[in-house]
Formats: sequence, C-alpha cells, structure tokens
Amino acid sequence: MSSLEYTSLEEIPKIREHLRASFRAGKALDVVYRKEQLLQLAYLIQDNTERLQDALYQDLGRPKHESNLFDLGVLLGECLYAYKHIERWLKPQSVPFNINWSAFSPRVYKQAKGTVLIITPFNFPLYCLAPITGAIAAGCSVVVKLSELTPSTSSLLAELFPKYLDPDMYRVVNGGIDENMKLLELQWDHSGGKVGKIVATAAAKHLTPVTLELGGKCPAIVDENADFEVAAKRLLWGKMVNAGQTCAAPDYILVVKGAEAKLIEALKKQHSNFYGTNPHTSSSFSRIISHGHWDRLSDVLKKTKGKLPGQIITGGDRVREEKYIAPTIVQNVTAYDSLMQDEIFGPIFPIVSVPSIDTAVKYVNDHDHPLALYVFSKDAKVRGHVRKYTNSGAVVENDVMMHGSMPALPFGGVGPSGYGSHKGQHSFNTFVYQRPLLYSPNWLDLLLSIRFPPYTDATLKKINGVALPTIPYPRPGEKGGISWQWPLLVVSAALIIYKQDAIRRALNV
Amino acid sequence: MTSELVYTPVSELAPIRDHLNASFKAGKAKSIAFRKEQLLQLAYLFQDNIKPFQDALAKDLGRPVLESNMLDLSGIIGDALYAYKNIDSWVKPDKAPFDINWFPFSPKINKEPKGTVLIISPFNYPLWCMGPIAGAIAAGCAVVTKPSELTPATSQLITDLFPKYLDQDLYRVVNGAVEETTKLLSLKWDHILYTGSGRVGRIIALAAAKHLTPATLELGGKSPVIVDSNSDFDLTAKRLLWGKMINSGQTCTAPDYVIVPDSAQAKLVTALKVQYKKFYGDDPRTSGSFSRICATAHWDRINGLLAETKGNIVVGGEGIRAEKYIAPTIVQNVSFDDSLMTEELFGPILCIIPVPSIEIGLQYIRSHDSPLALYVFSKDSKFRKYGKYISLITSPPNILHNARSVRENTLSGMFFENDVVLQGGSSVTPFGGVGPSGYGAHKGKYSFDMFTHHRSSYSSPSWIDVIMGVRFPPYTDVTLKKVNSLVLPTIPYPRPGESAPFNWKRYVTFAVVFAAVAMNKQRITNFIKP
Repeated sequence: MSSLEYTSLEEIPKIREHLRASFRAGKALDVVYRKEQLLQLAYLIQDNTERLQDALYQDLGRPKHESNLFDLGVLLGECLYAYKHIERWLKPQSVPFNINWSAFSPRVYKQAKGTVLIITPFNFPLYCLAPITGAIAAGCSVVVKLSELTPSTSSLLAELFPKYLDPDMYRVVNGGIDENMKLLELQWDHSGGKVGKIVATAAAKHLTPVTLELGGKCPAIVDENADFEVAAKRLLWGKMVNAGQTCAAPDYILVVKGAEAKLIEALKKQHSNFYGTNPHTSSSFSRIISHGHWDRLSDVLKKTKGKLPGQIITGGDRVREEKYIAPTIVQNVTAYDSLMQDEIFGPIFPIVSVPSIDTAVKYVNDHDHPLALYVFSKDAKVRGHVRKYTNSGAVVENDVMMHGSMPALPFGGVGPSGYGSHKGQHSFNTFVYQRPLLYSPNWLDLLLSIRFPPYTDATLKKINGVALPTIPYPRPGEKGGISWQWPLLVVSAALIIYKQDAIRRALNV
Repeated sequence: MTSELVYTPVSELAPIRDHLNASFKAGKAKSIAFRKEQLLQLAYLFQDNIKPFQDALAKDLGRPVLESNMLDLSGIIGDALYAYKNIDSWVKPDKAPFDINWFPFSPKINKEPKGTVLIISPFNYPLWCMGPIAGAIAAGCAVVTKPSELTPATSQLITDLFPKYLDQDLYRVVNGAVEETTKLLSLKWDHILYTGSGRVGRIIALAAAKHLTPATLELGGKSPVIVDSNSDFDLTAKRLLWGKMINSGQTCTAPDYVIVPDSAQAKLVTALKVQYKKFYGDDPRTSGSFSRICATAHWDRINGLLAETKGNIVVGGEGIRAEKYIAPTIVQNVSFDDSLMTEELFGPILCIIPVPSIEIGLQYIRSHDSPLALYVFSKDSKFRKYGKYISLITSPPNILHNARSVRENTLSGMFFENDVVLQGGSSVTPFGGVGPSGYGAHKGKYSFDMFTHHRSSYSSPSWIDVIMGVRFPPYTDVTLKKVNSLVLPTIPYPRPGESAPFNWKRYVTFAVVFAAVAMNKQRITNFIKP
C-alpha cells in the first residue's frame, strides 16, 4: 500500500481563496477554455489507463475489467459527453411562449455558481469524480476531496491533476477527518458528498446548496414469470461487482413465493459460471476496502439466522488478512434478520420470499426510499405496477445499475438516499443556477402604466382586467356555461359560404 | 394587533403532519383529475373572496386595493390557473435525449411527488409567496403551509377558508410564531420552501439538514440598480420609484440602491422628484396610493437607519410611529459606507450612490453578497448586454472583463433590463436567488419541479446481453478487449494545442467519389433525366 500525503490544514483555506480569486477573475468565462480542460481530463484518463488500473487494483483488489467499465470508462465518457454538448447546455434557454410576457423577451441563462467542493467516497473513486465534468462545463472552480481509504488512487490523482488541469481552477485535496472538517468549515458555492448529514449541516451554516448522493438498501423484486436466467446473471453481476461495494448495487432480493427455487437454481448456475469453484482465486472478484468494513460485514454474516445449515447457498467463507469475503447468497432470510437492517455494502446477497408482488411493494414502501429499485418480470403490467406504487432514486426494469453509465439520465436519490442528481447535463445543472433575464421595452407602459400611483378607480378597473380575469373554467362539479364559440363559428362559416358571391364581388371592387 | 390570529396548538403539529403523510402514502393525490380539481378550488378560494382579502391586507399592511390585486391576489390565482392549464404536460415522463448507445433501454425521467412538504411564507406578500403551493399540488404532494404571524387578519382568513375549498387530508394551514415554527422544523418533511430572511434561512437549512431534507430558500439582499448616463430618465424614475415604493418598500426584489455616474445624478433626482409629485401629490400619507410598515419593530429599524445617514434627503424622511408610516424617501449622495448600505433596507427609502465610473459600482456589487435581483437602465443595449464602457481593471479579486456584459460580470438571482420588480409576475421564468440570496427557484413549472423527484427509469431488453454480455465474469482478455472498445474508445479530438492529424481517409474517399462522378458524368445525367 502506498502512503497518501495529506494536504496541510493551513493550506486548505488558501487553496479555496486562490480558486475563488481565479473564478472571480473570470478564468473560466471562456467556453474554449472549459472545453480544453474537459479534453485534458479525458487525456488524463487515456494517457494513464494502466497506472489508474494498477492503483485501483492495489486499493480494492479490483479486476481491470471492472475498473474500466465503472471507473475509467464512465469518467472518460462523461468528459467527452460534456465536451460535445457544452455549447448546447450553455445556450440561454428560451421559455414557453406566454402572451403576457413575450414582450419582455425572457431568457434563462445558465450561470456558474462559483467555487464548489466535491467529496468522493472510496468505492468508485473515478466514477464519483465524474460530476467534476459538469462543474468544469458550468465554469466553476473546483476542489475535489478524494477518499483517504484509497491511498494509491488518491495519490496518483493528486500527482496527475496539476499536470493536466489548470491548478488555478481545479485542485485535489487529500486527507482524513481533520482535513474534511476544515474543508467544511469554509464557505462553498455548492458542495456534494457522501457523509450526508455532516455535509448538509456544515453547508446550512453558509447557506450553501448541496447535492447528496447517499445509499440505502436497493431492493430487487423478482416476479414469478421473470426470465430467471437473465435475472440471475444480471443480479449476481450487479451485486458482486467491486465486491458489493456499490451504492446502487441490489441489496436484497424480494422474490415471489414459488419462484424462489427457480431463481436460486439460476443464481447457483451463474455463480459457478462467473467464479468457477473457487472465487478466492478467481481474478474476477474484488476485495473489501478496509479491515473495519470487513469486520462489519463479518459480524452481520455471523448474526444472520440464514446461516442455519443449507441456508447459505454459496460462499460464506472469509479471510481477514486478504480482506476477502466470498460472494455469498443467503436464502430464507426474514425481514427481521441482521442482513435486512442496514445497507450491506458487501458481497452478501439475502433472498427474502414474499407471498405476492403487492407484499413486495408494501415492504419497499414501509422502508426508506432507496437509491434504486430493480424489478424483474416479463410482464410489463407488473413492472408498471411496481413503478407506479413505489418511489426511489431510479427504477429499473429487468436490469441493474446500467443507468450509472447513461449520461442522459439523472443519477440521484430521494429522501434518505439523498437529493440532487448528476451525470451528463444533470451534473452541469447541479453547478449552475438559472438566471432569468428580462427586458422591458419603453412602449410597454402604454399597457402597463396603470400600475403606477396615483391609484384611481379607473386604473383599478383596468388592473383587474389584466390581473384578475374571471376564471375561465367552471368550478369542480359544476358544468361549464354554454360555449357560443362553436355555434358562432358554424353560423359565420355558413354565412360566408351562402354569401360568397357577394363577398367576391365586393373584394373585386 | 387589530384582529386575533389563533395559533395552532404545538401538540397538534405532529399529528397534522402524520395525517397528511398517511393520506399521501394512501395515494390520495395520485390522480391528475384530483389535483386539477384542487388547483381550481385554490383559484376559486381567492376569486370568491377578493373583497375580504383586500380588507385583510389593508388591515395588516395598509395596502391600497390596487396593489393587493396586482401583487398578491393575481399572483396566487395566476399560479393556480397556470398549473391547472399545464399540469398534463408537466406530469408526463420526459424522454431522455436520443443516444445511439442507450436508446434500446428507452430511458425516461418520471415525475414523482416528493411527499409531504412544508411551505413557510413571510408577511410582505402573504398570498404571492403562497403561490408555490400550486406547484406542490400539481406535483402531487401533501402540503402544510404556514403563513406569517405578522399579518394576523390575512393569515386568519386563509386559515378559515382553506378547509372550505381544499381537501383537508392533504392541504393544511398552521399558524404560530417562533415556538410553533421550531416545532414544525423538528419534524421530518420531504421538502421545505422558506421565503424570508437570511438569518432564519440558516436555521431552516440546519433543521432540514438533520433530516436530510432538501430545502429551497428565497431570501433577500440588497438588489442594486445601475443607471447609465444615457438612460431615459423619465421612464427610469417612474419605474424605479414605483418598484421601490410598492408595499412601502417591503419587497424582496425591490431596488435597494441606485448606482449612477456623478454627472447623471442631478438628472435622475430631478426626474424622480417630478414622478414623486405625480404619484403621491403633496402628502403621500393621505394619497391612498401608499402602504404602511408591517410592524413597529420594523418601523424602528428603518427609522434608525435613516437617522444615521450622511446622505442628503431629497424628499420624504418623515415618519409617524403610531401609524407605522414612513414617507417615501429619496436620499442622494450616499456613499458605500453609509448606514443605509449596512443591511437590506426593506422600507420606502431609495438611496442614490453617485460614482465616478460604473466600474466602481460593478466592483462594489461583485465584492458583496450576490443579490436576489440586479437591474440595469440604459438606452444603449450594448451597455446593458455587452458592457461597452467597462474597461479592464486589474485589481484582483474584483477584476471586470472588457467586452463582457454587466450580466456576465455579476452574480444575481435575476437580471432585468429597463424595469424592476415585475419579473415576480412572470410564470415562465424562475424566481430565486443565488448565494446569500438563497437557492432553488419557483414560479410556474419551476415550482412543480421543486416538489418533484425526477426519477430515472429504463427497461433493459434480454437481447441487449448479446452486446453487453461482455460485462459479466469470468473476465478474460477477450472480454476486456471488448469492454475497452465500448467504454474506452480513443479520444476523437486532438489534444488542446495540437492540430488534428491529417485525415487522409476523408480526402482519399472524397477524391475517389469525385473521380467516379466525373468519369460517369454522362451516365448520371442520363439516369437523372426522365
């Protein structure tokens, strides 16, 4: 393990001051500059692919395959997506036409919030860094605090950042709790992070808006007519990627009774397809980040009632020195089990059987809104039902976690799983505010001069005509009056047709 | 206090929230028809009771009828009807922009209500500030709204009328002061919208943070006006004075101070005096066109600031404490360190700050808290838009940018050219601040979006694994190569500073096609001709 050099506490406020000064000096006002920086970040990834893969392997025992798919690939993709779309995003938005307001030619500008702070977690260091592309595109200056639990990756990024990106605008800060607290003491124009309440509280003191990407227990509901082969393959993959340390990973399975056996059969089959007979030596499986997390997971696993003989279908073995926990599937888990209390965040997959889809929906609704909800069924009606009667950050049909790579969809939670979102334009929107611009022409006062004092009965009458028209819809439960619009139209049309010769003659003269 | 406002018992607040939460969870507001009915009821609530509301507002704020109609009643009725008209298109899921890699997943963004939300409104515009409730109803949320205790007559009237028009299982009014608000804030909400001061804004944000509740804060700040030397001074004076003096200056977006070049101050002041006379005659107190200050404490604060100013009072200045009256006052030759510049005025005082050059004014604005609104008056659209007269001054951190507009050189919630305050009536633009003037925005669809969770959804077909199957273990060199070609393509743009490599493929293709066309010219013409 390589050692990570912490940023000194005295330097942190200075960094912020420096970045703020460059922001105010307008260094990033130019779109060309922003595009250049986005491209540089993309090249940072491309030029150092192998070093980054190695660092992630050192920190998380992560196969290259997963690092590329979830970390490098996503960050690179986001850079290029922002690079390609930035002009469109920055264009002042025209607003829906409104007869009363069109004279003001209203537009909405996207303006940078200022100097922002991004705090990333250990599980996907580059994926979680990706919102920086939105911040760069927005024109903000950015401080990124990387996780101290991934020393190799964090120190590599700290080394590479100044080589590729403008250090006047974009900086990396490393450190533990002290450094974090110091950062949070300062005023930022937007912050985002994973230590939810602490970040939100610190931000509240400065009236700083925040985006929180938290986790939660993401349920996967499996219906009795699901395609079990596909479901098992996708579920197991999603759960075991990065050894289960994924915020949007399916946390537990709610399977409709009767389908349980089929699902377990399919999961077992996929398990041996994926990892062979011994996942420990398979190069397709990651390790747990720290001994602390290993102990927590180990403890949960010890307490589960599912450990009774025959309940742990696969896995269960662990090696502390290697921070290894085998991909584990536990069946017949009840809602009161130790596995069903907190977010697992490890390679343990509890299966809970429920009598019906409705029970599954009820179970989900009785708990905190998750970051994502997964539903597997061949029946579009069942999938629609689950979507309609639940709430979650995202809802996914017949797959897991793919939206983490889709730049077009917002990635974010609701309720306890956080608020705000990122990815693609949503990252950009996080770091800009919408500033409306209106222009009032002089002639407008021909119509609106009634607003000025002295207020007289005449101006009041006119104001009422403009501001308080009669509601054009009947009260709920009442019928509308007869509309003369259509009969009148018909009558006039008939008249025109009847008198068309006369009209023609009149027009010819 | 003229009329009695009944506070909601503190012990009832939690049960009210729980009741609303239960009805929300039971899906009472799921149907769009129901929401539309409620929106219409909201509009009728105010339309049916225009007279009582005018009276209540007059009692609380000494407000002329015209201002009540234009600024309060029309705001909330307009919001309700706008939402009623547009709700069908708002609730439709948004399709994600087309992307060749992802379209088989048919990605959508669904609109889900956040849950049970809390709206706290201030005293200055009791009805206008309640407008966002239309967005919350349209979104399908359950709402508790707390009007201000400083406007007892209006708040009581709202409280009495609410149950007659709106569904009590989902929409409730609660009343109270500090104790009740503290209790409300200790409960868990799914969104909080607060309009008011920065001091309370921090308390709200802290309380929300404890429950991880997202909040929208509409705060105030000193909104500056920049008047160029070539403005139409008559028009400028008229609009400025109007925007400043409506509701006796107690408007969050009211122009707070005016920055004008030295040479133009006299012209502006003369024009203001003329308009002043036209607006209020000889005695604004009896004019019937001018409101009163909301509370005696506020009267004391404003009068204190006025007493200490070193500027010259042009007109006004007098006040009557018993009537909570302060005359519309114009102060000229104010400097940036004057007492009037220490805090948001929120009263009928317009201070004019002459500056040797506009740059100085812009620097002042940039180095202070970002305001809710910024107003620019000039006949020259280049000045407004492109800041022609702004030269580069290199004194960090307040550097201004040549050839950049006033807009780009400043931060403010909203930006308005040649007029003031009116933007609050527009349902098509967002209304909100930035930095110390708050965050988040409301009006029209922006209110709806504030109370809506944008929920991603997509459906993954089984056949997609023909392509995406490379993601699954066991990871081999073959699958790694395929993954790389999907997610780590070579960057198709040259490095910054480098020129693109010579694209010979394109030129060769072009040459071949060209040659082929030239050689077969006759055949092609024959083919095209009938």
